[in-house]
Amino acid sequence: MILDIALLLLAAGVPYYLLLEKSTKFNSRHIFLFSSTLLLCAVLLSLFIPNEHKTVLVLISLVSAIFSIYKATKTTNFYKFGYYLIFVNAPFFILFEEEGALYSLSLLIALLGIYLIARFYEKNYGSANYHHITGITLVTPCVGTYLTLYLVALALYPPFPNSIFFLSYIFGSEPNLLWYIVVTTLFFGNFFLAMRVMRKTLFGRESSSIHYVHMTLKEKITHFLVVLTLLILSIYGLKETLL
Amino acid sequence: MEKIILLIPSIPIIIAFMLIFVKNKELIPKISIILSSMIALLGLYGTYYVIHYDEAIIGFDGLLIYNELSAILVPYVAILGLVIRKYATKYMWDEAGYRRFFILLNFIFSAIYLLVMSNNLIVLALAWQLLSISLYLLVSFNVSSNTAVRHARWIMVIHKGADLVFMFAVILTYQTFGSFDLAILSEKWLAMSQSSIDNPMIFVIGLLYLIAAMMKSAIMPFHIWLPYTSEAPTPVSAVMHAGVVNVGGILLNKMAYLLLLTPAVLNIAFVVGLFTAIVASIIMLVVSDIKRSLGYSTVGQMGYMIMEIGLGAFSLAIYHLIVHGIFKATLFLESGALIRLARHESNLPRRLSYELFWEEKLKSKGTKLFNYIAFFTILPVIIFIGVKMVLAEEFFEFNASVVILAFAWLTGTQLFLSFFKVSKSETIKVVFALVSSFIIILFTYEFIGLALEHFLYNENALLFYQAATLNMTLIAALIILAVLMAVGWLFMYNQHFVEMPTNNNEINKKQWVFYRFVAKEGYFFELFKIFKKDKR
Repeated sequence: MILDIALLLLAAGVPYYLLLEKSTKFNSRHIFLFSSTLLLCAVLLSLFIPNEHKTVLVLISLVSAIFSIYKATKTTNFYKFGYYLIFVNAPFFILFEEEGALYSLSLLIALLGIYLIARFYEKNYGSANYHHITGITLVTPCVGTYLTLYLVALALYPPFPNSIFFLSYIFGSEPNLLWYIVVTTLFFGNFFLAMRVMRKTLFGRESSSIHYVHMTLKEKITHFLVVLTLLILSIYGLKETLL
Repeated sequence: MEKIILLIPSIPIIIAFMLIFVKNKELIPKISIILSSMIALLGLYGTYYVIHYDEAIIGFDGLLIYNELSAILVPYVAILGLVIRKYATKYMWDEAGYRRFFILLNFIFSAIYLLVMSNNLIVLALAWQLLSISLYLLVSFNVSSNTAVRHARWIMVIHKGADLVFMFAVILTYQTFGSFDLAILSEKWLAMSQSSIDNPMIFVIGLLYLIAAMMKSAIMPFHIWLPYTSEAPTPVSAVMHAGVVNVGGILLNKMAYLLLLTPAVLNIAFVVGLFTAIVASIIMLVVSDIKRSLGYSTVGQMGYMIMEIGLGAFSLAIYHLIVHGIFKATLFLESGALIRLARHESNLPRRLSYELFWEEKLKSKGTKLFNYIAFFTILPVIIFIGVKMVLAEEFFEFNASVVILAFAWLTGTQLFLSFFKVSKSETIKVVFALVSSFIIILFTYEFIGLALEHFLYNENALLFYQAATLNMTLIAALIILAVLMAVGWLFMYNQHFVEMPTNNNEINKKQWVFYRFVAKEGYFFELFKIFKKDKR
C-alpha cells in the first residue's frame, strides 16, 4: 500500500504543484522539471514493482486530473501547460500499471519538446508565455512545425507514440465504468488542452509588436532528435500493438 | 510482386517527407504529382489483379488488404488526388505555406488509403484518427483567419467525438468476437447470420459504428462541421466533399456483415439518412450563402448514402459516394474557371449544359425534344421493368427497390434543373421532362449498381436486403414513395421555376415562417449564441 501511494505521488496522481506554486523558491520551470523527474522515477519504479492499481487511487488521480485540466485552461505559460499535462495523464499510469510506463515515457518525450519550445520563447521573447506570440505557423514555420508535432502528439493523434500506446492499452483491457470515465477524460482532456495552445499561438495573425525569431541550426537539430525519438517509439509501439 | 500494391498508403507519407527537404518551390507539386501517379498506376494494377485472379492481396501479417472494395475505391481516390494536386499547383501558388499544404494533402490521402485498405481494426482506428488531424490542419490552413480557425475547431470536436465512439466500438468488438482481423470477423459474422442471434451487445457495437460513421459523414445532427468550412482553400473543399465525408460509407461497408446481425441498426440508419436527406436538401434550397448551400447539398447526399445502407444497398452506397464525389469535386474545382470567365464577361458565364438547351432553342424545338426524350426513355423503362420482373423478381421484394427509385427521382430532378430553365406556364412539359430524367438516372443507377453489387458481395448481397427490409409490402412502399415524390416535385416546382407575374402580391405568412425557419437552419446558431451570452 505504501508503495502504491508512493507511486501515486511520483506519477503526479495528486496535485502537489499547488504547494509548489505557492513557494517563492520554485518557479514554473522548476515545477515542470521536478514533476517530470518524479514521473520518470515512477516509470522506472513501475518496471520493478508489481503495481496493483487500487480503485481509490485511480479515483484520486482522476479528480486531480480533472482539476489540472481546469487549471491548464487558465494558463498561457508553456511550463505550466507542461506540468499540468503530467498531472492530467496520471490516472492512465495508475490504471494501466506497468503497461502505462511506455505511454508516460512518450508523454515525457513530447513534453521535452514543449520544454525546449518554452526555453526558446523565454530566450527570445522574454518569457515562456505564448499569449501574444500569435501566428507563428506562418512567421516562423520551423518553430510552428515542431510545436504542431508536439501538440499533435499530446492531443493523442497518430502516428505519435502517445496515441499508439494509448490505443494499444485500452484495446487490450477489460472495460468497466471507471475505465470508461478515465479514458474519456484523458482522450478529450489532452485534446482540448493541446488544441487550445494551437489556437492561441500557432494560429492567428502575426503580431506587429513582436520581433519574431527563427530557430538556430543547433535548435533545429535538437528538435529533430526529439521528433525522431518519438517516431522510433512509434515504430516500436506499432510493432508491439500490431504484430 | 503484387504485394507492392500494399505499399500505397505509405507512398504519400514518403512524398510528404521528401517535400520537407525540397528547396525549389516548382519541384514541390512536380514531385507530388509524379509520385501520386505511381499510386494511381499501382491502384489500377491492383484492380486488374483482383478482377483477373478473383482474389484479394493480403500482406503485412494480414494488416492490409487489397480486395474488391479497395479495387474500386483506391483508383478513384488516387485519380481524384492527382486532379486535386494538379489543380492546387497553380491555385495555391501565391499562398503562404505552399509546401505545408502539399505535405498535409499527402497525409490526408495516406489516411484515406490506409482506411480503405485496412484489414485490422487497430489500423482502421489509426487511419480514422490520422484523417481527423490532417483534416483539421488543412481546414485551418489559412491560419490568420479567425473564422477559418473557429470552423476548423468545430470539425475537430465532432471528429474527435467520432474517434472516441469508434474506439469504444473496436474495444467492444474485440471483447465480443475476439479478433481485430476484419477478414476473420467478416467470415464469423456471415456464419453467425445463418442462425438467429440474441445478443444485445451486437446491437450496441453496430450502433456505435453507425454513430461514428454519421459523425464523419456529416449526418444530422452532426452535420454542422461541413457547411461552415468553405473558407478552406478550394482544393481542400474538394477533398472534404469528395473524399473525407465518404469515410462513413466506407466504414459501414467494411462492417456490412456485422450489420447483417443487427437489422435494427440498419433501420435506424435508414430513418436517420432519410431525415438528413430531406431536411438538408430543403435547407440547401433556401440558404442564401452559395457555399453553405453546397455544404448542405453534400450533407443531403450523405443522408442518401446512409439511407441506402439502411436498406441493405451497400454497394449502391459505394457507387453513390463515388459519383457524388466526382460531381462535387468538379463543382469546386470548376469555380476558379468560372470566376476567371466572369471577369471577362459582364454577365455570369453560362454553363455548357445550359447553352446546349438555351432558352431560345427551347421555345422553337421544345416539344419535339421532349417527345424524343420520352420516346427514348419511357419505352425502354417499361421493357426494363418487365425483364427485371421476369429475371430478378426478388428485387421487388425488398424496400431497396424503393430507395433506388427515390434516388433516381432526386438525381433526375437535379439533372433536369441543371439543364432547363422553365416557366410555370409549361407544366406538362416540366412533368414530362422530370419523368424522363428520372428514367435515365434509374437505368444508369440500376445497371451499374447491380454490377457493383455482384463484384463486391456476390450472392451475399441479397442477405443485406433481407436483413434491412422493413417488412412493408411493396405496394405500401410504392405509395409512400409516390407521395414523397409528389410533395417533392411540388416543392421543387415552387422553389425553382420562374414565376409568372401575377397581381396577387400578398405574402403567405405560414410559408414565410417556414421559409425563415429553414433559412436560419432551425435557429440552431441563434440558440447557441443565446446560450453563450448567458454563460458570459
